[in-house]
Amino acid sequence: MTEDRSRILDLLAGGKITAEEAERLLDALDTHAGAATSPTGSAIKGDPEPLIAALPKYLYVKVLAANGDNVDVKIPIVLVRSGLKLTSLIPPLAMDKINDTMSEHGMSVDFNNFKPEDIDELIGGLRDMEVNVDAKNGDTVRVYCA
Amino acid sequence: MNVPPLVLDLKVVRPERRLVHLWLPLFLLWPLALALGVLALALTIVVDGVLLLLGRRFHHYTVLLVHSFAVIGETRGMVIRFSNQKTAVDMTVQ
Repeated sequence: MTEDRSRILDLLAGGKITAEEAERLLDALDTHAGAATSPTGSAIKGDPEPLIAALPKYLYVKVLAANGDNVDVKIPIVLVRSGLKLTSLIPPLAMDKINDTMSEHGMSVDFNNFKPEDIDELIGGLRDMEVNVDAKNGDTVRVYCA
Repeated sequence: MNVPPLVLDLKVVRPERRLVHLWLPLFLLWPLALALGVLALALTIVVDGVLLLLGRRFHHYTVLLVHSFAVIGETRGMVIRFSNQKTAVDMTVQ
């Protein structure tokens, strides 16, 4: 095991990155090493920090209202992850009430189907997500990760 | 888990008024939170034990409590800004 791989696995074990992020980093490391491998087969000694730094750290929500009200929220991705994990731990009885209330407000999301193993995949999906809403009255909403 | 939030930095700007800039020392709440957390943990452990003995499917209140503390710890770095024509509020958890 190279030093780089060991560091990525340490980050994974320490909860600094998700399994999916670790997989992507290892893939990137393999690609990088494969491109630069010498005929003797020794892997390149790369620093994974730039790759880790490239991962999104925050979820941004920006609301610009036509009447001049602006809201700008920056949420750490780790908080999103922890929040989602917490959702999967809520007692079923309470969860049913949450689902009912959300359904009453037009959001029919069944959190009972929310499994901890899906969270990393969901967070990984946020990386490529960008929501842009331009309302007729001039309000704009942007949600993205960076 | 990260270090829990240390300071809440709050800025309120209003035209023709002095800038209000507050650093709220959240770390002063840690001892209180620790004491409450320990008490709550003791309670949830007992509750989980009872629920387990009763054969209830859900007996994870201790895990739920620990994760709740973890969520609070992860709020560090969160920024909320609000502004309109009269007021601008900037809140940063550090």
